[in-house]
Amino acid sequence: MKKINVLGLITFFVLVLVNLPFLVIIPSSFTAAGYLGFPPEGFSWQWYEMILDRPEFIDSLWFSLKLATVTAILATLIGTLAAFALSKYKFRGSGIINALMLSPLTVPSLIIGISALLFFTRIGIAGTFTGLLLAHMLISIPYVVRLVLTGLSSFDYTLEKAGYMLGAHPFRVFWDITLPLLRPAIVSGMIFSFLTSFDNVTVSLFLVAPDTTTLPLAIFTYMQETLDPLVASISSVVILLSLVFIVLLEKVYGLERLFGLNSQSH
Amino acid sequence: MSKRLSVTLLTAPAMILLLGVFIIPMLMMLLLSFQDENQAFSLHNYLLFVQDPYYLEILWRTIRVSLWTVLASLLLGFPVAMYMAQATGKMRGIVTMLILAPHLISVVIRNFGWVVVLGEKGWINETLISLGLIDQPLRLLYNELGIVIGLTDSFIAYMVLAIATSLYAIDPSLNKAASILGASRARTFFSVTLPLCLPGIIAGTTLVFSLSMSAFVTPALMGGTSVKVMPVIAYEQIMATLNWPLGAALAFLLLGSTILLVTLYTKLIETKRYKEVFAS
Repeated sequence: MKKINVLGLITFFVLVLVNLPFLVIIPSSFTAAGYLGFPPEGFSWQWYEMILDRPEFIDSLWFSLKLATVTAILATLIGTLAAFALSKYKFRGSGIINALMLSPLTVPSLIIGISALLFFTRIGIAGTFTGLLLAHMLISIPYVVRLVLTGLSSFDYTLEKAGYMLGAHPFRVFWDITLPLLRPAIVSGMIFSFLTSFDNVTVSLFLVAPDTTTLPLAIFTYMQETLDPLVASISSVVILLSLVFIVLLEKVYGLERLFGLNSQSH
Repeated sequence: MSKRLSVTLLTAPAMILLLGVFIIPMLMMLLLSFQDENQAFSLHNYLLFVQDPYYLEILWRTIRVSLWTVLASLLLGFPVAMYMAQATGKMRGIVTMLILAPHLISVVIRNFGWVVVLGEKGWINETLISLGLIDQPLRLLYNELGIVIGLTDSFIAYMVLAIATSLYAIDPSLNKAASILGASRARTFFSVTLPLCLPGIIAGTTLVFSLSMSAFVTPALMGGTSVKVMPVIAYEQIMATLNWPLGAALAFLLLGSTILLVTLYTKLIETKRYKEVFAS
């Protein structure tokens, strides 16, 4: 019994450590003082009101939300199509295609960012929404492909066959049978893509323009110059927003399963 | 529709994206890294790196910081994985959630939280000073220690999961058999549990090492301006100095040294394991 207690204690300590950043950020965003400190002094909403005076944060929040939403929809769409091909058909080169689809995960974000900047400058889309979107889709696709492939690996194709035999149109079969059965995998692929895009810094760093920047990058840049409770209030907003998606992800798919898949692919 | 046509149509969008945003740009970057000032092909950038002690020191610091991160996340992560393996359903779920959820929230924000905790006017320093234990604030940030703390926080989840997965797979009756045969807890741990979860440890350590080597945000925010690592100087060469060929070469040198070190490490461990197998 003693051993379990020691393990439990260390586990508790580690859990506190990894959650400590959030445990200090949220309280310190409500400080009445003019400087950043923990524990906070007094209580006020002033730093939240202050966000409204900073158009760069509001603008970048909308920009990030827009980017993450479009990324999630498109990456899920084309990732799901590819996963279908990989799972349904046996063809030459499927192993290579599968490996290629997952390869953006194994290459450091730094290299993805630099090489995208290089190529996008050449074709004139560096610093544009399109450029960022393409790069974000690239880093999201491996997760979608992996999730949908896992969903398809336990997929019972006799259900589709039954649909055909009962005279359903292939589109009807897909819509009424295939899609509902794969919904958890597809939806979690979409949520995960959204979070991947919404939180990304290292790839975006190379591809943003001053007037089109993402929220994490706006915070990153601000943090390098000033450290005040404003960062805390903006961060708290992001934490709450991310939490909504994390809870969704846990409900739809389960975090443990999601990460089991994540760590294998590296 | 023929099978071939279906396959082509279904995979085409993803393949075009991969080619256009990943494969072609990477090849361009590789070519660029071999370009000198006159845009001629040369090893100039790579030689520059090998001959300059400044760059070698930065590479060594990147490796050193990554090794400390691996050690810290192994020492802190292993007990958590053990606890998860022993815990029952509900408790295991809670621990999993609490270790993984923070991982999905922006690294910039997590680092900011650490600045609040570790800064000169941060929680730790204020507490220690008010307790009278120190009179000067400790320097916990803007040095290698700060980077290691930030990286460990970022990547410990990978270590825990890799080890926990391999621990879940161990048949509990093996432990029972060991104790029936009279092995002590420690003996069981070292002769049964540890060898069986070695693949998990190897996976976790190599993963955390590779991720730490290429991390940019945490060293930039928690290392400060004087303690630079490879990704930071590669970024500066690209975005500030605008020496793109050198920046590209630095990024590939980093990737190359990471792959080399990881390969050496896994080879070393595997040879040792084979020896053990043949000896027994």
